[in-house]
Amino acid sequence: MTNAASSERTADVQEEDLRRVWANPTGWRYWTSVNNTQIGLWYGSAAFIFMLFAGVLALLVRLQLAVPDNDFLSADMFNQAFTLHGTVMMFLFAVPIFEAVAIFLLPSMLGARELPFPRLSAFGFWSFALGGVFVCGSIFFNAAPNSGWFMYPPLATDKEYSGIGADIWLLGLSFIEVASIAAAVEIIVGIMKCRAPGMRINMMPLFAWYLLIVGGMILFAFPPLIAGDILFEMERMFDWPFFDAKRGGDPLLWQHLFWIFGHPEVYIIFLPAIALMAMIVPTFAQRPIIGYSWIVLAAVGTGFLSFGLWVHHMFTTGLPQISLAFFSAASEAVAIPTGVQIFVFIATMLAGRVIFSLPMLFGAGGLAIFVIGGLTGVMVALAPFDWQAHDTYFVVAHLHYVLIGGMLFPVLAGIYYYYPLINARKLSDRLGKIAFWLMFIGFNVAFFPMHLTGLRGMPRRVFTYPAEVGWDLLNLISTVGAFIFATGVALVVIDILRPKHREPKGKMNPWNAGTLEWISEPEENWGVRSIPIIKSRYPLWDQPGLIDDINKGRFYLPDTQDGRRETLVTSVLDADPVQCLRVGGTSYLTIISALSLGGVFIALTFHWWLLTVLCGIVTLGAILIWLWTGTSEIPKRNERDIGLGVTLPLYVSGPASVGWWAMFITMAGDGTAFASLMFGYFFYWTIHPDFTAGLPGPGAGWPIVAVALFALAWLAMLLARHANANDRVWMARLSLLGSVPITLAACLAGLAGPYLHDMQPTVHVYPAIVWVISLWTVLHGLVAIIMQLYCLAGSFAGRLTASYDADLRNVMLYWHFLMITAMISFGVLGLFPEVR
Amino acid sequence: MVPGELGFVRHLALGLRRSISESLEGRTQGEAPTILRYLLPFTALILVGCGGQQSALDPSGEESEAVYRLFIVMVIGGVAIWLGVSALYIYAARHRQTSWPPAQASALIGWGGVAFPVVVLLALLGYAVWLMPVVRPWNSLAGTDGAIEVTGEQFWWRIRYPGVNGNPAFETANEIRLPVGQPATFSLDATDVIHSFWIPALGGKMDMIPGRTNFLTLTPKRTGIYRAPCAEFCGTSHAYMAFSVVVMEQEDFEVWRRRQISGHERSADQGWELMLRHGCLGCHSLRGEKIGGATAPDLTLIGARHSIGAGTLANTAENIARFIRSPVSVKPGAKMPAFDMLPQREIDDMARYLGGLK
Amino acid sequence: MRLIPREVETLWTLFTGPVVWALHFLACYAAAAIYCAKASEAPFSFDALRLSLFAITVVALVAILAAAWLSWRQWGFGSGDPPHDAPTRHDRLLFQGFATLLLSGLSFIAVIFVSVPLLFIEVCAR
Repeated sequence: MTNAASSERTADVQEEDLRRVWANPTGWRYWTSVNNTQIGLWYGSAAFIFMLFAGVLALLVRLQLAVPDNDFLSADMFNQAFTLHGTVMMFLFAVPIFEAVAIFLLPSMLGARELPFPRLSAFGFWSFALGGVFVCGSIFFNAAPNSGWFMYPPLATDKEYSGIGADIWLLGLSFIEVASIAAAVEIIVGIMKCRAPGMRINMMPLFAWYLLIVGGMILFAFPPLIAGDILFEMERMFDWPFFDAKRGGDPLLWQHLFWIFGHPEVYIIFLPAIALMAMIVPTFAQRPIIGYSWIVLAAVGTGFLSFGLWVHHMFTTGLPQISLAFFSAASEAVAIPTGVQIFVFIATMLAGRVIFSLPMLFGAGGLAIFVIGGLTGVMVALAPFDWQAHDTYFVVAHLHYVLIGGMLFPVLAGIYYYYPLINARKLSDRLGKIAFWLMFIGFNVAFFPMHLTGLRGMPRRVFTYPAEVGWDLLNLISTVGAFIFATGVALVVIDILRPKHREPKGKMNPWNAGTLEWISEPEENWGVRSIPIIKSRYPLWDQPGLIDDINKGRFYLPDTQDGRRETLVTSVLDADPVQCLRVGGTSYLTIISALSLGGVFIALTFHWWLLTVLCGIVTLGAILIWLWTGTSEIPKRNERDIGLGVTLPLYVSGPASVGWWAMFITMAGDGTAFASLMFGYFFYWTIHPDFTAGLPGPGAGWPIVAVALFALAWLAMLLARHANANDRVWMARLSLLGSVPITLAACLAGLAGPYLHDMQPTVHVYPAIVWVISLWTVLHGLVAIIMQLYCLAGSFAGRLTASYDADLRNVMLYWHFLMITAMISFGVLGLFPEVR
Repeated sequence: MVPGELGFVRHLALGLRRSISESLEGRTQGEAPTILRYLLPFTALILVGCGGQQSALDPSGEESEAVYRLFIVMVIGGVAIWLGVSALYIYAARHRQTSWPPAQASALIGWGGVAFPVVVLLALLGYAVWLMPVVRPWNSLAGTDGAIEVTGEQFWWRIRYPGVNGNPAFETANEIRLPVGQPATFSLDATDVIHSFWIPALGGKMDMIPGRTNFLTLTPKRTGIYRAPCAEFCGTSHAYMAFSVVVMEQEDFEVWRRRQISGHERSADQGWELMLRHGCLGCHSLRGEKIGGATAPDLTLIGARHSIGAGTLANTAENIARFIRSPVSVKPGAKMPAFDMLPQREIDDMARYLGGLK
Repeated sequence: MRLIPREVETLWTLFTGPVVWALHFLACYAAAAIYCAKASEAPFSFDALRLSLFAITVVALVAILAAAWLSWRQWGFGSGDPPHDAPTRHDRLLFQGFATLLLSGLSFIAVIFVSVPLLFIEVCAR
């Protein structure tokens, strides 16, 4: 008895310690929180607010189109409104809301205290919030982008046709893309490495499977757009003619890069929403999902196929028919995994007993809508039909059926389902039902007629239309529907915002779900009280007493040590514990670096060069301090007893560490952006008989020298790592020091080719693309120098030693990528013009 | 209240009344049975759903007919699939007696989610890919010599008929006339931004991209007047960029062509004098006149066109006058300067003169 | 010693089929696009290009079949039925095998879909 009492007292003390360590700061410092659950809420709220803003814009658009020859909005304001509507819905709502849901749910769903990089999430959130406000705010100054969310050049590049709105779009969104990639790194590493012990990959919640795939897709989809943004902004800012046909450029390159991003983007939006349904359906069918492996097939299959669809946005650009047909084929094929997902849900419902709750109602409504969108998608994916339907209201109808049915309704289902995790109470069933029917009816009244409007010849993005063509009634019906729909959305907002503190708190896990996220309590920040051992896909159904054991701290890491936030790192396939990871705590560095990076982008928009440089320096400084003080810290002890007789190391390096994976993933994305630039180089080669236009190239000599010097520096780095690992400290330091000037020389040699051959980037696209690829590589070289100096400083400061060498190994990984980049870029620039 | 809002309210009321009365009268084509006319609003949807001078659902060309057939096939299949999936879903949600055994439910995924879509989609894909070279035959590239050159400019269409069969080439703007039953090839280009060439009643669209020349062949099968909008967002007045397509009998077309070639017939008129004095021909041209600019739409025989301002206004003298006085208030972003400093009488004279050029 | 170990302990085998599909798709698209852009300089006919792409299609299908066979083996030739949700290494391997097999099937179908245009489109027309 005394023993039990004392162990209970220990548990209480441990719980207090944990609570203190994981507590959010109070007062104004609250905003320096970095806890993922907290950030997830901010992220989600911000995305939701942006959605409401974009929804209001849509209502303005619908008002303007209600009747023919209307003058409610001017042509220019209308163009700003629809451009911003599309942009905000895609970049500031659809993608971020899933990042929000993911970082909110994943820690407890995976049975982790925390995802591995909470500060990165905070950084991502602040980047997103600042960028979003910047882009949205522009419309109040009549300076919003007005060239459509796809920003086709030359309309959007040529200063004669488009103003500062285009720069705001480009720079604001580039900034937000950074946030998305940050979230992707967090989510991928989190899912692969931070699952609770025993949660093998065949037992991961399906939500995690989906998010893992989506994270990978972000990594390969966003970088082409970033590469496109670079070309675009170079044209707008410095007149480099990437998209100017008169100087050898081609507007179609942008379309390729934009849609290589743009189509996977649709699935990046759609898959997480279906992931929510994959969590909701089993709960209400009261049985495990039927076809777990089928869902994995669908998620992975969709992830891959979605990269083979982009040209179906370009069916009318005059590409060869055979190219169009390949993309038609892939676009049809992608319907198969989509169909599989729908049938998995139906099969699960058939095999269970369905409780038809409000989340299921939203799910069913979404499905009914989405299937129509999918069927019209099969139609427009066929090139001959698309030649008629493309850029008409038929496509407007199609895309809204897909996105609202496939994303918004499931997200609302998710909100109704998961709201008890935020507030311990359910949302109103009655209000929810009314809201659902208003939205469902309003949506169909608004968008179904658009199929007809489009086929009757109404193009998209027209600010008005003449009376005699016969679109009047259809448009009026659509507008009425849009307002009914908006009323439904407003009801949901009211339901969420209405004060609920008088209502009694509901019980934990009110829907009787089987997955682990339902163990988390709204008022606790620690993800899980102790990290459980998982033995089932639905542990709350199959592992009796699990909640009690977790909350009494009977599993791993029930305590805290050194006042640090800790979580477990496990192996990828079988989730065997491998490390006790100490994650970053509350810090103002994340806000400073995000805001100053935002400053860089905003100052660039207005060509305030001095401020750009200043903000750049602050950003670099903040990030360096962040890295120095918050990462690769050498722990006081090497090992940590995590309970249940298991002892784990506190410090690991190389592929065993989460940092190495983060670097690897980041560089995969970086490599994709580089590949997109190289795609541009070869694209120009294909469209011109002589893509150099008779202009001088960089020659073969200097590029070869550059490659040789990069190789030398890379060897020096290899030597440094090797020497460091063998505790030959001075050898390591000398190699590091030596590689700095070699890298610098390599950078200079890389620039010497185009510079000494007097290549003028404003004259023609050939010198411009050579310059931009050289600059890309050289910039990476300069970053490498910073890393070398950082490691050198670390060695002198004693935080980089033979056994604590995570920094050096991560830098080495960066160097492998850099070496490949340098070889390809300078190899192609130097040799391709000679051999072609 | 700002004038814009007042205007909107007025339009809303007017538009509602107009739409309802038009639907009741069955104005659009009027081919629906009488009884349907009283079943508002569904009747209205069906009625407005088909006909029209700008409709892909009322095909008058070979390509548009083939695509229309494809569309009908897909709609029938789509409706059937949607009903099937929805019924299955409702059954799955509502069934109470027995749950399916997991193996059986699992098999449903294979049959419903994989086998059925694979077969249907493969058949559909085969049909559509086979259709591509049929509706857009590859020999069109070989025969581009006689192509009608269409150039998109913000926000109008420059149209150049080639010299064929001994007829000289000539330029016009914002209206294309074609002989019925004959394939017409268009050579499509743009000078400033991307536009898209689309005659819904005749066939699909093709983009007009600066620096690229695209070709499109369409075969009209019925005479008539069709409206053709710009289908790629091209800036402020994208909504006001359209052209008319007049499909005529061969003989009528030859008459029209001869009339076009003979060009502008000057008449001693106050309006003509004023046009000369105010420098209209610095930008516009009237075929046959010694002076004439090339930066703005050709005005030869403008009175015979079906609209002015590239589909913006009906072709009446009052509308021409309105346009001359202040192009930007009619068509935001138009490059033509305003002539509102001229006395109204002079503007009216010029408008009357232009309207009479038929 | 086997050439390919009986039980592959990595996540990445899952992606074999889709990767083959991606390579096949890329090969078809790039070859056709470059050929049609540079048709005037090409030393061989479009039919020759189509034939070689057919050959590549066959290679891709064979590669996917090979991946499918390996995953079928890993799945124990269907000896155990899904869901493979037991907390054991064995079930995890079965799951990997089964999921890989399904993905190989999808990739196989997708490759066939992508090869349909090779059948119908005979010239570089636009």
